[in-house]
Amino acid sequence: MPERYGPYGGAFVPETLVPALAELERVWKEARRDPAFRRELSRLSTTLGGRPTPLYFASRLTRRAGGAEIWLKREDLVHGGAHKFNNALGQGLLAQRMGKPRLIAETGAGQHGVATAMIGAALGLRTEVYMGEVDIDRQKPNVDRMRLLGARVIPVKSGTRTLKDAINAALRDWIANVRTTHYLIGSAVGPHPFPSIVTDFQSVIGRELRRQAVRAFGRLPDLAVACVGGGSNALGTFHPLRKTSVELLGVEAGGPAGSTGAGSLSYGRPGILHGALSYVLQDADGQVSETESISAGLDYPGVGPEHAWFRDSGRVRYTAVHDQDALRAFHWLAVDEGILPALESSHALFAAVTEARRRPKEQHIVVTLSGRGDKDLGVVLGATR
Amino acid sequence: MRLDKALRTARAEGRTIAVPYLMVERRRASRLKATVLALREAGATALELGFPFSDPIADGPVLEAAANRALRGGTTWADLLEAARVTSEVLPTAVMTYANPVLRHGLEAAARTLGGAGISGLIVPDLSLEESAPWRRAARAGGLSLVLLAAPGGSDERVARLARSSRGFLYLVAYYGTTGHAAEGNRVDLAPLVNAAHRAAPSLPVLVGFGIRDRASAARALSTGADGVVVGTALEEMIQRDPRPASIERWFRRIAGTPRP
Ligand SMILES: Cc1ncc(COP(=O)(O)O)c(C=O)c1O
Repeated sequence: MPERYGPYGGAFVPETLVPALAELERVWKEARRDPAFRRELSRLSTTLGGRPTPLYFASRLTRRAGGAEIWLKREDLVHGGAHKFNNALGQGLLAQRMGKPRLIAETGAGQHGVATAMIGAALGLRTEVYMGEVDIDRQKPNVDRMRLLGARVIPVKSGTRTLKDAINAALRDWIANVRTTHYLIGSAVGPHPFPSIVTDFQSVIGRELRRQAVRAFGRLPDLAVACVGGGSNALGTFHPLRKTSVELLGVEAGGPAGSTGAGSLSYGRPGILHGALSYVLQDADGQVSETESISAGLDYPGVGPEHAWFRDSGRVRYTAVHDQDALRAFHWLAVDEGILPALESSHALFAAVTEARRRPKEQHIVVTLSGRGDKDLGVVLGATR
Repeated sequence: MRLDKALRTARAEGRTIAVPYLMVERRRASRLKATVLALREAGATALELGFPFSDPIADGPVLEAAANRALRGGTTWADLLEAARVTSEVLPTAVMTYANPVLRHGLEAAARTLGGAGISGLIVPDLSLEESAPWRRAARAGGLSLVLLAAPGGSDERVARLARSSRGFLYLVAYYGTTGHAAEGNRVDLAPLVNAAHRAAPSLPVLVGFGIRDRASAARALSTGADGVVVGTALEEMIQRDPRPASIERWFRRIAGTPRP
């Protein structure tokens, strides 16, 4: 696992964090080679997490699109309702291995906070979650869930009061408490080795998908689609497919029509945010821009560094989907398949339907349905009224 | 290399090195010169000019709020250059800002323009030693000393490496935490770190920063063998309380006048 993806990545952090990052890298590398760790990860993925998740043929959505077949990798069925569990479990076990009794996390949509709260409870680690006030308002059910799971939710009142500033707050906490605390970062962002670790634990998505696609339709899909906030469900999907001929499409939040939304890869330029060099939405002085998206989990001006490299090298194509189109896809999946998708995943669904329309029936598209939409009912109903 | 020279001279003369930190803010531009003159009068050795960043992860609530306010007030890189021209006439001045604003202006170009505006040092709190090589090259080409930070939790060996690579001075972070003040239990004994730095780079001054707010905290920092102190949050609070140059001078004189043991 590299420190750099092309020129991107690295560790731009205050010196106080350097020893902790070095320890994390060492422990993670040991753990990956340790059969006992891998057994425990696999046991809990199955018995607590509900893995493997199915690959589902969305036949009525396929008919609606009228082109290539659309299949869903059902991460919405993972314990807690999103792919976030995969990473929270892995890093929770690493925290235990390092003897750190306290977990902190940031959360946007609340899914990573819920996943961390569940893992904290299951492993007996004290858990505190930073969440922007704006997100607390729009993802209320997840705030309640975190509290019921025994975590403390700390409102972040500074800056944008969304995911970006929740990460700032978590980093500040970590700087002060690094001796006793593991920062369980929720996406493939942050300083090395976090992007590699998160991608490693999320890659179970793509590994399962490969096997399941071959079993279901005899070969790998023609196209894999995933939404990109920080980029962890997308990297979990793409990383195991990167050396195959499968086309890869990452979907960012385009925000309201006519805006740049949260499209760091679509509209940003290289910059350093939260410890890594990657694409960042920023102004001419390098001040990080405020973003806007209907989906709290994608509402972030940065992106994981491996995506930056996939973009530059052309291995992955990126596009942005606007709020209204994501909402349309939300409703399509609800009435066509009886599944309420997360608004984050709805961005990927819209792009997948658009692609399916243009492609022949013989092709197969797999969309990673990164989470379920229960948390979004307030936003969806509010937008529909 | 005015920063290096001023600090080395003060150290050689056994004086306490006192470096105040001021955030550039457009709204305060008209007061800047008087403030810096007052600080020099009070015994400041050099100045840190802070350029606000939208995501200041090494800063506590006071400096974070100051940065947000400065940015909301429209403060830009041009304001920094203008401030630099003013302050560097009065005191050797180093710029402190996060990595992204510098990168956005281009490492070489930024170093050159800052040098041209009279700046003689650069401090980047989210730049690790591991990432610093191209930054050190760019700084040197622009005539700036790139100041590195050391922190609690680093081994003696690591602090030694930082001291050998740092220019101007070594900035030693006083505790586990962000700028402002230390939470209960987050202070460590800095003497071994100061020692390690002095052994590795005998002529490089070591300055303690974070949490220096009065004579007592300055005295505690100097008792570790450090050569001086950096004062940030407390100065910002002082300016918010009473921005008159005479008041600032009186207040800062007590810190700058703290004798070395
Ligand atoms: C359901 C869901 N999908 C996607 C994301 C975006 O994160 P990432 O890009 O890391 O997968 C989130 C983040 O909160 C989420 O909750």
